[in-house]
Amino acid sequence: MSAASQLNSDRSPPGCLDSLLSVRNVRKYFPIREGALQRIVGHVRAVDGVSFDIRRGETVGLVGESGCGKTTLARCVSGLTDITGGGIYFDLPHKQAILLGQLSSPNAEGGPLPGHKQELERIDTAHRIDRLEGEAGRRFRRNCQMVFQDSFASLNPRHLVFDLVSRPLRVYREATGSELTERVVELLEQVGLGRQHLYRYPHQFSGGQRQRISIARALALNPEIIVLDEPTSALDVSVQAQILNLLNELQSQRNLAFLFVTHDLSVIHHMADRVVVMYLGKVSETGDTGELFKAPHHPYTRALMEAKPDLEDESSKYEFKGLEGTVPDPARPPRGCRFHTRCEFATESCGWEIDDIVRCLEYDPAAFETLSGVERRSDFDAVLTFDDAKSANRLAEMLRSGAVPKALQDSLSKLELRDRHVSVAFEEVDEVPLTSRGPGRAAACVLDPSVIASGRNG
Amino acid sequence: MQPVDQEKAVQARPRPASVASVRNLRVYFQSKRGMVHAVDGVSFDIYDGETLGLVGETGCGKSVTGRSFLKLLPVPPGKIASGSIQFKPHATCRNCDGNGCPSCEGTGRQSAANSRGRSNEKGIRDSVDAEIVELLEIGREEMRRIRGDRIAMIFQDPGKALNPTLPISEQLSEVFLLHRTSELLEAAGLPASTGGALRRFASQEQRFGDSLLMALPPNRAFRNRLVGALNKMVIEALGDTQVPNPAKLMARYPHELSGGMKQRVMIAQALACNPDILIADEPTTALDVTVEARILELIKELQKKRRTSVLYISHDLSLVRRICDRVAVMYAGKVVEIGSTDAIFRDPRHPYTRGLISAVPSAGARRGELAAIRGTVPELVDPAPTCRFAGRCPFEADSCRRFEPELKPVSNGHAVACFIDSAAPSGRQPTFQSAAV
Amino acid sequence: MTESYKPSLQPWQSGEARESALRVRLNRFMGLIQRLVSNPTTVMGLAVIVSMIGIAIFAPWIAEPNFPDPYQMPRDWGAVRKPPGTPGHILGTTNVGGDVFYGVIWGSRKSLQLSLMVVGSTVVIGTIIGSLAGLLGGWVDEVLMRIVDVFLSIPELIFALAIAAVLGPSFTNIVFALSVVLWVKYARIMRAQVIQTKQNEYVDAARVIGDSKLNIYLRDILPNSITPVTVQATLDMGNVVLIGATLSFIGLSEAGIAEWGVLVSEGQAGIASGRWWASTFPGLMIFLWALAFNLVGDGLRDALDPRTEGR
Repeated sequence: MSAASQLNSDRSPPGCLDSLLSVRNVRKYFPIREGALQRIVGHVRAVDGVSFDIRRGETVGLVGESGCGKTTLARCVSGLTDITGGGIYFDLPHKQAILLGQLSSPNAEGGPLPGHKQELERIDTAHRIDRLEGEAGRRFRRNCQMVFQDSFASLNPRHLVFDLVSRPLRVYREATGSELTERVVELLEQVGLGRQHLYRYPHQFSGGQRQRISIARALALNPEIIVLDEPTSALDVSVQAQILNLLNELQSQRNLAFLFVTHDLSVIHHMADRVVVMYLGKVSETGDTGELFKAPHHPYTRALMEAKPDLEDESSKYEFKGLEGTVPDPARPPRGCRFHTRCEFATESCGWEIDDIVRCLEYDPAAFETLSGVERRSDFDAVLTFDDAKSANRLAEMLRSGAVPKALQDSLSKLELRDRHVSVAFEEVDEVPLTSRGPGRAAACVLDPSVIASGRNG
Repeated sequence: MQPVDQEKAVQARPRPASVASVRNLRVYFQSKRGMVHAVDGVSFDIYDGETLGLVGETGCGKSVTGRSFLKLLPVPPGKIASGSIQFKPHATCRNCDGNGCPSCEGTGRQSAANSRGRSNEKGIRDSVDAEIVELLEIGREEMRRIRGDRIAMIFQDPGKALNPTLPISEQLSEVFLLHRTSELLEAAGLPASTGGALRRFASQEQRFGDSLLMALPPNRAFRNRLVGALNKMVIEALGDTQVPNPAKLMARYPHELSGGMKQRVMIAQALACNPDILIADEPTTALDVTVEARILELIKELQKKRRTSVLYISHDLSLVRRICDRVAVMYAGKVVEIGSTDAIFRDPRHPYTRGLISAVPSAGARRGELAAIRGTVPELVDPAPTCRFAGRCPFEADSCRRFEPELKPVSNGHAVACFIDSAAPSGRQPTFQSAAV
Repeated sequence: MTESYKPSLQPWQSGEARESALRVRLNRFMGLIQRLVSNPTTVMGLAVIVSMIGIAIFAPWIAEPNFPDPYQMPRDWGAVRKPPGTPGHILGTTNVGGDVFYGVIWGSRKSLQLSLMVVGSTVVIGTIIGSLAGLLGGWVDEVLMRIVDVFLSIPELIFALAIAAVLGPSFTNIVFALSVVLWVKYARIMRAQVIQTKQNEYVDAARVIGDSKLNIYLRDILPNSITPVTVQATLDMGNVVLIGATLSFIGLSEAGIAEWGVLVSEGQAGIASGRWWASTFPGLMIFLWALAFNLVGDGLRDALDPRTEGR
């Protein structure tokens, strides 16, 4: 059983079992093309197996740095981007969600049984958003709206506010004539604008006001869920506060669900009921906002908190610091735990591989220049060839001494120096799965939460 | 407005030496609808070795203030209407001649406090070493020498500030060639009296035919030594910003680097010449939080090592709180509050500062009850002499709409421009109790 | 929640009547016109174009139409090779007795026809093909753009010349030849614009609403892509006459019709013997026509530039 469906059954307060939107093992790969024939040479794994649920009236926060796939995922959820694998289900009853979890988990023989296949097909056509047709498709489309980060780019510069806000109503033929105008005015008033703004162009408004127009447009069809993609990132704090207040007000009035995508932890802390932290296309931690902020169970979550201290909390329990290194190439994500290359808590079982040695070499220009070839048997086992024996020796020394992370040293299962060749092998480590850590809480880390909380890798 | 008053306000009693004093700076922009008072009478000091945060909302004039230091404003439509920015460059340390010694804590510079008397042999740099430089009045040539050498700037978008057609090495060597000619010659083992084509090569002022001269022996050998020395300096500068493999990075072009890496190159470029002041205009806004934190740590470390003062322009209060020694809050072209970071955040006196701080979503704030400041920043076209925050202020009284409050000290080093703490000429006073809503 | 907003009042706006969609759109259009006429060279170009079109419309009243075909030059065999100023032939006559003044006046009709027909058809074809390529992408785009490449690889004048030569000398064939040659330019421009515009977030926003693909194209993509096409079309209104005249000049039009290129061609033999007028006046008209549309085209480009559109 996957971690996410496990989460579902874990957390079961009565009455809110049915999730409005279920994201199940969603993958989105972008092909990398090369050459005159545009041959596909690889895939950028923007989203790589993400699962979570959004229930009616709740806010799920999706946090991560740029390139972690959060915006891609938001676009998948709102139906703007096709997914490569997995499924996004709308209005999936609890029973079917459990069934889906059981059916789609690969059993020993591989592949679902014939009977199950039929059942799966039935769920898919009734609830999977990219398979919905006709009335059901329209129902999803109306009930899932989106607000974009750039309020200027997301409003057609040639349309008046009236055109922009009335458009959804016109598309679904909800109103015409003066009734339409009144509906639009009503919507504008709900977001703090008014009749006097009807016939103006977007460029005549400030950033905050434009975002209000976007929100009014999203509200027009009275949706059940709004995907908010960094809605306040381009705004000043004072205006951000206005928009956040507005969103909260609308949520409580209309029992809206939000998928709130942002990189700003303080905004997430304030807005979200539950948080999903993403790193390199994968969920690294998820849980209730309060508990997650109280004690992060993943070093990446902790790193985010350290980098963005709370303003009020002056004697923060975390010292202000950033992360070393850069986000690895999502076309070749690190093995094991994807965060291990930058993790200060990394252990020998985090999935150290040959690429990590190459990364270490990059810090030593002289050695890197002399590296002439890497012959891989697997990601964990390879022979590195240098121009001369001296450099090879130097690498071996490096791997034995403290010049590389201790965890990397510990996970080395073979280190042989032969002339110009160094053959190395690591313990093979599977991907670190998202494991349940109590009700509604899951993290993908091999470490005990107490280690992460204490801040030192023992 | 009495400059004397502000002097008193800004400079509290035992004041540390300042490297730059901005007095009554006014920058106007001509627009179709009239004069926009982007910066309207701003005064503050940057003390030696400190980090001064300049915070405020978009359009409050903080960037324009920063850019005025280096005359990097679009003129026209911009125009520096009045004011002065006095810059007191650090002198070279007398004991070690700039090489770093215990008496100057290895920086090679005397602090601004005791900068008097200096040797006069280092050519270009010494013309800048005048006692006080009035940045708004010096000529282009002199400004060119100060820019990048004594006052450096890093911008919000490193992608736009780097030339996409040049490799990193060339963009960095430029700084050394422009400002570090003599040191470069020294490092290459050439006498300081070297002249002619070699010197011109080393100061990037090549003339027609020089390249031919440089190709001839023995110049060629010297040239190679110069290039070698230059590369070494560039690698060192890059190494200081902790980029992995600086030698490899040198051959890369800006588009091949990540945002964080580009910003490090910018910092290396800015700090290459040990500037006395670093103006950082939202240097990390475009970066991820973890990278942002790392870059700020880096600036902090380098600053400590070189005793550089930093003017840190940002809208992010939580970061300003972590890294700044003092904070100046700007609103609508004016400094409304200035003081130590501690004083500003513990006891903000100006309603605008209070508004800004409480608008930041924090763990304590209840959902949907963030204290937003109502309204938006007013347009600054020919503003009336009232408190600029009137109309958005929850505490305003009628005196706020009739008079313009001046920056007055409320405690040591903490000054506020609000009638809550200083008496208005007449009319009802605002108090923190008189909240309108 | 109340955010202060100060609208900029334009001279033609009255305070109260601002609140209607039509009025606001009209204001925006008037703003465009205002920017357009603020440039003196554009105004000059506009004046020339307006008077040329006026001449074309009122041709029957200015110069009495020839019977039975007004587009055939009238022949006055009694006044051959008369210089300008001759009574009844104010701009002189050609060596076959054609009235140069008549040719100049009725030639403007031919030129206007040529410009409108060629530019009209090419803009429509180019916009459709360019939009298809840009919207659909993939192999459709690939095929269409390779066809465009083939067309673009042949110099347009030579290509048009070849087509017109094959079809035989006639004015209609010139129109056809030019249309065949010139649509590729618009297809190119349109494709690039569509590809750029469809990446805008407001297109995504419309998709999230659930609007149909046709609606998204008509409301969001087309209006925001068409500007460069408009500018190019204006410039081409002048260029077409220039190329058309060239084709006429080398004899690909019917001989003896009142068309500027034909007139220049027929008059050029006399230039060496001092009869400059038969070529000069129609030549001047061609020059003015092309210049005027180029001036207006440039003005339009500046006026439509989003960067100059006041915030």
